Amino acid sequence: MRAPFASLLRILSPGAAVVIALALVSSVVVWRMKVEPRDGMLFWVFAPTHFETYQRSVPAWNREHPESKLTMAQLSGPALEQRLVSGFFSGTPLADVFEVERVMAAKAFTGPLEDVGFLDVTDRLHEEGLFDQINAPSFSPWMSRGRIFGIPHDVHPVMLAYRADLVEAAGIDVSSIETWEDYFRLLRPLQEDLNGDGRPDRWLLNAGDTNVEVMQMLLYQAGGTYFDEQDRPILNDSRNAAILARLVTWFTGPNRVSTDLGISSALTNQQILNGTVIGCFLADWTAGSWRMELPGLAGKVKLMPLPAWEQGGRRTSVWGGTMMAINRRSPRTDEAWEFAKELYLSPENAAALFRKTMIITPVKSLWNLPVFDEPDAYYSGQRVGRMLIDLAPDVPPRPSSPYATMAQQLMGNTLIELRAYADQHELYTEEALMPEARRLLEIAQGRLAREIGRNSFLTAKEAP
Amino acid sequence: MNMPVATRRWNWAPLFFVGPFLLIFGVFILWPMVSSLLLAFQQTFGPETTRWVGFKNFAYLVNDPRFWKAVSNTSIFTLGSLLIQLPVALGLALLLNRPKMVGRSWFRLIFFSPVLVGLPFVAILFSPIFEKRIGLLNVSLNMLTGGAWDPEFAWLQVYVMPALILAALWMYAGFNMIYFLAALQNVPKELTEAAEMDGCNAWQRFWHVTLPEIRPIAGFVTLLSIIGSFQIFELSLLLLNGTSGPSDRGLTIVMYLYQTGFIAGDLGYASAVGWVLAIFLMGIALIHRRLSRGQEED
Repeated sequence: MRAPFASLLRILSPGAAVVIALALVSSVVVWRMKVEPRDGMLFWVFAPTHFETYQRSVPAWNREHPESKLTMAQLSGPALEQRLVSGFFSGTPLADVFEVERVMAAKAFTGPLEDVGFLDVTDRLHEEGLFDQINAPSFSPWMSRGRIFGIPHDVHPVMLAYRADLVEAAGIDVSSIETWEDYFRLLRPLQEDLNGDGRPDRWLLNAGDTNVEVMQMLLYQAGGTYFDEQDRPILNDSRNAAILARLVTWFTGPNRVSTDLGISSALTNQQILNGTVIGCFLADWTAGSWRMELPGLAGKVKLMPLPAWEQGGRRTSVWGGTMMAINRRSPRTDEAWEFAKELYLSPENAAALFRKTMIITPVKSLWNLPVFDEPDAYYSGQRVGRMLIDLAPDVPPRPSSPYATMAQQLMGNTLIELRAYADQHELYTEEALMPEARRLLEIAQGRLAREIGRNSFLTAKEAP
Repeated sequence: MNMPVATRRWNWAPLFFVGPFLLIFGVFILWPMVSSLLLAFQQTFGPETTRWVGFKNFAYLVNDPRFWKAVSNTSIFTLGSLLIQLPVALGLALLLNRPKMVGRSWFRLIFFSPVLVGLPFVAILFSPIFEKRIGLLNVSLNMLTGGAWDPEFAWLQVYVMPALILAALWMYAGFNMIYFLAALQNVPKELTEAAEMDGCNAWQRFWHVTLPEIRPIAGFVTLLSIIGSFQIFELSLLLLNGTSGPSDRGLTIVMYLYQTGFIAGDLGYASAVGWVLAIFLMGIALIHRRLSRGQEED
């Protein structure tokens, strides 16, 4: 055995021998290194505003529960999502408790129910009476096959923000608006060509066929949906076809009333500030973002319930959603559950969250907190909290199916194709567009059903 | 006469030198390739929960409209790259190969520099340029056409592939120009001078002398462009804010692979997509090799 090593040493320079020796030693050290077990619980948050709001609560929890101390860490949304996926799929380390966004959570519901990485909290919610305390529609994104996998963080009702300065300068009174038809008719004089090039430079609504978020808000508001109560896909529902046909008449043709500025980018904000649109969809959390990102609009903008699709119809929709979930594999699920309850049921936290972000709590008993009745100078002195709470019970349910994102995309694609069809054939009425809307939705339905059918982990009984 | 008996000694030196390569190749290339091939025949919910499905992933892929949309988009991008980017690169190289041109070293640096900044920079730069109404491109075109150009022209919503081709042109035209410049500098001057003395005009000299001489490099650049274009991912992903754009107009094959494997968690189907792409690119490379060999024999 001496011969090979001797020949090796003859070949190697002293420097190379040192490098190889260091590499071998460090490899052994890393291999043998023991990772110290974490002291207490770990809590991951993705939203910076939530992180700031909880800064007060975590030290208080640690003082009162020295036996189950908690460390809070903020991760970016994509980082949290990737870590969750890795943790659930391959067992890499995860936090004990985390706040999860709606789209992230749905991915965990793709496989068998027993493989969902979140702790099933259905029985706990019912046994402790929490289920009845929380706004019912807020549970919908966190349910899969009848089980609930987290405590809802929010309600996220949607309102319409409008440029009160422009509307009032034109002498228009919006209090009589009940339906979208009223809104477009009353505000039509504001859709103007400001630079004389023959094209409007100001539109009545920030919406377009390429904006799937806005499409979804309007679809939910109008009673459209992707799945039935058993979570079977129903894209081809006639209600959906009628909604898409109506939307196309808003987005193109002689009665066009909208333009798509996108959502939440610097360029979007600049155009909103410029007055390119009169009305924008705003959930409670985006209302909070506007205060931070668009200070130039302070006192110039007001909120109103969404105009309904027909007289007496729903005056709100829903946008986004977050829950507090517990890692099923955590050794401290009971402590994590207690922490989650303390964080979400505390009146102080609910008030602090609203002040910081304008997000209203889904806990109904906290809706009478004085903070929700405070006038907001940014929104021209309106009591925005109360307006949002008044709409909360009417928020439409959101699907929790892992195929909801795909359904949204297919519905969005259908809208784009229908708009192209309208322009190609110069058909700009709902009635004229209905047959094509139905045909396109049948194709989308077929694609979605085929994709769901490919999932061999879900039996027919379990299928989402 | 007694011959010395050769002592049989094991020579470790070759193994020592080849060892690191074999180790790295085995761990990071061979093993993942074998794993992904096996995965392509399974359905997965992450790597832990898997089910053997045979050829079902491939069968599904054949009838998957999103996959074909990705193939169609990627092919359009590749064609755009070949038909626009390469002629532009060759044109720039011809221009900057002229010995009497003032400041040609600076121009070479300027045209090459976009490739130094990287794709994320290009995406961030071009995103506001393509914006509707207030984007530089629409505003400029509107001004240049005396108001005829619609400032609402939706580059990143409707005309996604042309937008990607434009952004890639800015980035890679200078990069490919360097290859063509190197090739042009190797064209023997005697040939072009002889052609000139024979009365050939500039176009004839280019067509009958320069082009045949740079054909091997042109073929190589074409192959690189095809392979690179079929692997387009980051530019599209970043320009479209992590999505595949409205109606999947910006969906490319690698983006589809990424969405399926790392967003939806279906590693099996993503592996099937990856293998189809790999086999296709291998086919392109083989065709190129066959054509190159034919040219050499000619």
